[in-house]
Amino acid sequence: MASTETHDTPGLFRRVMESEHGFLALVLIVLVVGLGLATDRFLTGSNAVAILHQSSLVLIVAVGMTLLLITAEVDISVGASLAFASCIVMATINATGSIALGALAGVAFGAGIGLINALVTTVLRVNSLIGTIAMMMMLNGGVYLFTREAVQNHHQLPLFPKIATGFIAGIPVPVLIAAVVAAVGWIALSRTRIGRLFLATGANPRATRLSGYSPERFKTVAFVVTGALVGLAAVVLASLLNAGQPTAGQGFELTVIAAVLLGGTSLMGGRGTVLGTILAVLILKVIDNGIILLRWNQDLQIIVPGIVLILALYMDQRKRGHHAG
Amino acid sequence: MKATTRRISALAIAVGVTASGAWAQETPKRIGYIVNYATHEWYQNVIKGMEARADELGIEVEVIDANLDIAKQVAAAEDFMARQIDVLVMTPVNEQGVVPIVRRAKADGVPLVIEGNPVPGMQTMVAICDYDTGYSAGVVAGEMLKGEGDDAPRVMNVGLPLLSATILRSQGFMDGIQTIYPEAEMVHDLDGGGNPDRAQEVSSAALAADSDIDVIYGINDSSALGGLQAWRAAGLPEDDLLVVGTGSEGLAFLNEMQTEGPFKIEAAMFPEKIGYTLVDTAVSLFQGEDLPEHVVSPTTAVTFDEVGQFYSYDGTSRQIQWDGINALPVPEACMKYASDL
Amino acid sequence: MPQSNKALRIVAANGEVALIVTLAVVIAVFSGLSEYFFTLRNLTNVLGQASIILLIATGVAVALIGGEVDLSVGSTVAAVAIPLIGIMNATGSLTLGIAGALALGLLIGAVNGYLSAYMRINSLIVTLGTLFLIRGGVYLYTGKRATADTAYLDSFFAIGNGRLFGILPYPAVIAGVVVIAVIWAMRHLRFGRRIYAAGGSAEVARLAGFDVARIKFACFIISALMATLASILLASRLGAAVHTAGDGYEFQAIAAVVLGGVSLAGGVGNILGVVLGVLILAFVSNGLGMINAPTEWQLVITGLVIIAAVALDSLKKRWR
Repeated sequence: MASTETHDTPGLFRRVMESEHGFLALVLIVLVVGLGLATDRFLTGSNAVAILHQSSLVLIVAVGMTLLLITAEVDISVGASLAFASCIVMATINATGSIALGALAGVAFGAGIGLINALVTTVLRVNSLIGTIAMMMMLNGGVYLFTREAVQNHHQLPLFPKIATGFIAGIPVPVLIAAVVAAVGWIALSRTRIGRLFLATGANPRATRLSGYSPERFKTVAFVVTGALVGLAAVVLASLLNAGQPTAGQGFELTVIAAVLLGGTSLMGGRGTVLGTILAVLILKVIDNGIILLRWNQDLQIIVPGIVLILALYMDQRKRGHHAG
Repeated sequence: MKATTRRISALAIAVGVTASGAWAQETPKRIGYIVNYATHEWYQNVIKGMEARADELGIEVEVIDANLDIAKQVAAAEDFMARQIDVLVMTPVNEQGVVPIVRRAKADGVPLVIEGNPVPGMQTMVAICDYDTGYSAGVVAGEMLKGEGDDAPRVMNVGLPLLSATILRSQGFMDGIQTIYPEAEMVHDLDGGGNPDRAQEVSSAALAADSDIDVIYGINDSSALGGLQAWRAAGLPEDDLLVVGTGSEGLAFLNEMQTEGPFKIEAAMFPEKIGYTLVDTAVSLFQGEDLPEHVVSPTTAVTFDEVGQFYSYDGTSRQIQWDGINALPVPEACMKYASDL
Repeated sequence: MPQSNKALRIVAANGEVALIVTLAVVIAVFSGLSEYFFTLRNLTNVLGQASIILLIATGVAVALIGGEVDLSVGSTVAAVAIPLIGIMNATGSLTLGIAGALALGLLIGAVNGYLSAYMRINSLIVTLGTLFLIRGGVYLYTGKRATADTAYLDSFFAIGNGRLFGILPYPAVIAGVVVIAVIWAMRHLRFGRRIYAAGGSAEVARLAGFDVARIKFACFIISALMATLASILLASRLGAAVHTAGDGYEFQAIAAVVLGGVSLAGGVGNILGVVLGVLILAFVSNGLGMINAPTEWQLVITGLVIIAAVALDSLKKRWR
């Protein structure tokens, strides 16, 4: 119901606060300005590159997770899958000497895990929160059945580490990869019919079914896309560490999910944007970076995202309450 | 209330007394090892060393992994005692958190060897000297840099302030390098979490703030490599960089040292040797011998042309050279302990 | 007796028979595989070890039945041990220490409950936030160091390490009594039935005149208090407040709760099932250790057991 206040011209502040991404953009700007004033080491080219570099891994997977949460499902196994896939990438490269085959194997592995998650959710009807926690446990265990040690770059291929550490036109390669993934996700979700169908599926699965589409199929696609993006992130991670790390990715799933939720995607499905996710990833990574630059206690890196997340949801709640009232 | 609590404690003691103590002059048949984190390469190599020595002596080693859960470690100790193990060996997940289990093992008459960090009330511990390891690597690093110029080296420490052992390593390294360069400075003091992805992330941010660094010191190989990869990701030149790792925990440092890149020094801790010493200590304890509270396992700083004396590496696995390691001098005591912090 | 007949029927109708059979099979299999498994000492050991997760899982189950999730329990376990040990060290009084732990537990429950029940923020997010917040707070406050018990009270040592009549570990006794009380309260008190109503359909419960927010608030208090009790037992077993304690327990507890037949959708479930779920996972973990199975297999098998249990449960509902 529209409130009486709609007769007034809303002030700029309120318009910003109430626009879909205005609030997040404002937070980001405040953080950047604040940190820029607090330390002269923040607003430098190399630090900007470092922040973008750090954001890219999370962003690649967060784009998939946005899609998945929109269909009202979640994947907790992305961190464990990331570690396992990074070992698959390195082991395949070691076996074949081909970086392309290694990357392909990593993406295929991730997508395969996504497919299993999808089947467990849609066919076995296991709640995806529980199903993917179980998958996380199995991958955590399974990776040590696959390799007991970090898989090293045995051929010492010099080109492989360049994927993560190389630059094209002054921009780090992982940032370009993440940008492409985010751009495709953004356009697909907000500018195409399929994107609207995804949102419709999450908002009202029954209506989707009645209009002749299967919500299960959308969920399956979202799981597989998320998995494949985990595989892609694993290629970057393996290249970054120049090794496959079975211990990597701990807590990665929580960072990704926190970013997606902070970006305004609803846990209940049906609502969310890639742009919100991009802003949220940047906010979290700027905070992380700021804590290190200001030489604050690094334990704050655990606390601050928790506070930011609750605050964001509180603001969201109030905003919706305002519209409803 | 008082009466009840007294009865409870009487019971607790009674349980301990009735359990049988195993004291015999023969070798133990079964040693139970509760590792804090078996998925780490370091501990896999400790276990390899234990198994190698146990095979020679005809002893069976059984392993339970606490997987970093302190409650599970206590449960594992209970399980081993229920399985009537001859000697218990334990790497504490947390030194304070295993005090009651040390007490209960004593009450049950089960000999217990601690690995790594001292536990209040323990009988004996096998451990390397963390400070000394960092110190020797610091001295070697200082000597290596001396040929290159007079400027005091600027160090990035990819540390782990969570553990006293890793704090000692970083301190030792700085004190060691300062014997050559008194002006050597720790520019970044980071918490890399001990794992490569976190170390990489934290180092990236630090290098973006100040990349005028001559030495990257990592409290383990994962931390050193995380720091090095952050250096590479920032597109910085590797010619004048020196990377010092710690631990000789797995294949990573061997792989990196083969390339003759910036990774030139390893503060080696020889996990296999620790496992070997653990079994010998367990046997001595079982036989009722007098043991020092701290049995030292040797460490040394290894440069890339010396690696072959201690490990052979074929690209997929490493083989320890027992002759080289058993020839290392073993100090009676460490230069500095956690209690000195 | 007719009453026991009725009890049997309730059990059968709730599908706990399958859990009891599973538990029996687990025990039988490991008894065959290890000579040390089916001994009084080992069986009572496992009961003692399981009691910590049992208490936490019971609290999580009450919240889930009330339609809310509490992910902060693992961090709470680490946090409340700090006032427990700190006050005990300072005053030499176990009672004051426990009072301090309960006070912090209540505070955590109240914060979770206020944000979720009254501010109406999704509890999954609230408690995911407080999970980080509390763990980070513990790290900051302790400087990532364990706080040792220096009061050395025999009574405190006995809570976690002593045995009733020299046989049954006290943690099992304490958890048993508390959990039986919760089972009774959920079945027979008006308040227990209101929790089911609020979790089943908040709208219907509201129309029936229940104060849904207050009921849900109480669920978070119960969950936090159960985590506090678990923390006291664990602190006694560890002789310290360990900053990393309880890490990941939220997942272990939820796994056991779901295995025990509690629905994630709210309003459905039975604490007796949760007890069985906890025991199954505890005996699997103990048994795999007894036969020297490496951790990776424990993780893989636990994951499979959970998926199988939940899949069977939801498929059964669909076929019915």
